[in-house]
Amino acid sequence: MTIFIVSVLAFLVPYITEGDPVRAIIRSRVAELAIDQETVDRLRISLGLDRPLVVQYMGWLKNAVEGDFGYSYMSRQPVAGLIGRAFLISLTLASSALIFAFLVSIPLGTIAALREGKLADNIVIFVTQCFVAAPEYWLAPVGILIFALYLGWLPSAGWRDMSSMILPSLVLSLRPMAYFTRVMRAAMIDVLRAPYLVAARSRGLSVVQAIARHGLRNSISPVITVFAMWMASLLGGSLIVEVIFSIPGTGRLMYDAVVGRDIPLMQGSFVCLVGLAVIITTVTDVVYVLLNPTVRLAHGR
Amino acid sequence: MAASQASVRAAMSHLPSEAARVPSVLLVLVRFVRTRHWVMWLGVVIIGTIVIALVAAPWVSPYDPAAQNLLQRLQPPSAAHWFGTDHLGRDAFSRMLFGGRFSVTVAFATVMLSVSIGVLAGILSARQGGLLDEIIMRIVDFLLSFPEIIVAMFLVAVLGPGYATAVVAITMCGWAPFARLARGLTLEINARDYVRAAEILGCTRRFIIFRHIIPNAIRPIAAMGFLRFGHMLITVGGLSFLGLGVQPPNADWASMLAQSMDYVERAPLLVVMPGLALFVTALSVTWIGQGLELRGKSE
Repeated sequence: MTIFIVSVLAFLVPYITEGDPVRAIIRSRVAELAIDQETVDRLRISLGLDRPLVVQYMGWLKNAVEGDFGYSYMSRQPVAGLIGRAFLISLTLASSALIFAFLVSIPLGTIAALREGKLADNIVIFVTQCFVAAPEYWLAPVGILIFALYLGWLPSAGWRDMSSMILPSLVLSLRPMAYFTRVMRAAMIDVLRAPYLVAARSRGLSVVQAIARHGLRNSISPVITVFAMWMASLLGGSLIVEVIFSIPGTGRLMYDAVVGRDIPLMQGSFVCLVGLAVIITTVTDVVYVLLNPTVRLAHGR
Repeated sequence: MAASQASVRAAMSHLPSEAARVPSVLLVLVRFVRTRHWVMWLGVVIIGTIVIALVAAPWVSPYDPAAQNLLQRLQPPSAAHWFGTDHLGRDAFSRMLFGGRFSVTVAFATVMLSVSIGVLAGILSARQGGLLDEIIMRIVDFLLSFPEIIVAMFLVAVLGPGYATAVVAITMCGWAPFARLARGLTLEINARDYVRAAEILGCTRRFIIFRHIIPNAIRPIAAMGFLRFGHMLITVGGLSFLGLGVQPPNADWASMLAQSMDYVERAPLLVVMPGLALFVTALSVTWIGQGLELRGKSE
């Protein structure tokens, strides 16, 4: 249902935008001056843009269900292929950033929870606030400046090998890291007060043992939920980092589509991204239930 | 109510009655300052300084922010140009002062708009229930799970880039968390006895909302507003950075940063300073929100 409404929206949005798409295509390929009205009309008919919108929508929807989103106006390649390629790149970028953020935030959140209200906790809170308040489009150029231009350790842009992935992933990971840490801290504080942990401690387990056996498993599941939400949003939302580091991911693709008024590309990428967000949210709910036997049992009965 | 007034009177009875009146204003002020967390005051002081500097920009700034001097391009910082000059020889410090006016006002407008729409939608959703509640919450869930910069970008494509568009585009997703918070708070307040009493007395819905629900929900919402301000500031800046927000010849901090990206090696300060300004502004407002929240919990 959601996907249907969004597909209508995605289909219509480019048509509301100002400017004749046919002229935009021509402008993107040749100088506009040389084009007469007849050529414009011919191109319009060949693209099927002269038909009524509803007919266009039905045709587009039928093809889209079969995985065919038409051809990009700008590069003349099939939209599905472009999206697929960009998607893989964005997926790599987002998952490396998020996994790094996850690995750092779990111990960080645990330490903050154990030292609740003390100096270590306040330092962690302060650091997470800094991570949230620092714009990506500031961290990225500063990172390039330090690691690429001054130190020369990492390449400043592009998407070729492992080393070119490090800086963008790092920049992208800070904000989710802050949110993961906060969620982890809150969850761990709850767990530390829970009766089963007190019981574990009274059985003679050390704090470390008790957390390793009982604490982590119970406090990680909310982090997983947040992880999935970030996954969904980073697959398109890493746009700014992708533009700065010239990484050909989905965000970059959509940006180019919007700037170049490439209608099939805009429609296709928008629908794919929304579909993906819906799928990820659903999968998260399932995983959440799998990790949490209490939820599963409550629903099973 | 009467009991608390009586206790206040009893507590003040040992003071001379005429003298008590004058310092009581001061006393209230002192108590107001002391009961807030110091983190909040740190935020207030920093953001206050920034806002004063931005308001006073036309009188404080040493140069015209748009005045070009191509003979003095990309100058390093000096006594004449505190932050140096940009690629067109414009004074970076003056441009920062004027650019901040756009950044902060756009972010402020976005937060205010998001809060108003979100709170209205949330309260309506909670009080009305049923189908409307279902629809509003579905929209909120969808907006929360979707990258807002993409939605904003599409809206900008529809409406054309600009100052006002940026506000509308970010508000489009920005109201959702406020709606969810307001809905939760309303459901909780709704269950309290005084709302029941008001309903039994036959008060109108509007009266209950404005008299009981909004005053009781306002503090958590304000705290969240402060906490979201930094996020809005940065997201609006993101649009500007991509060239979809504030348009030249005007510039905000993010678009200044974007323009200076190509010269980052020759004049790193031109990139570092606008970003730092965004960072400090966002952080100080976050502290205000945190201070409010801390106090809310200790009560």
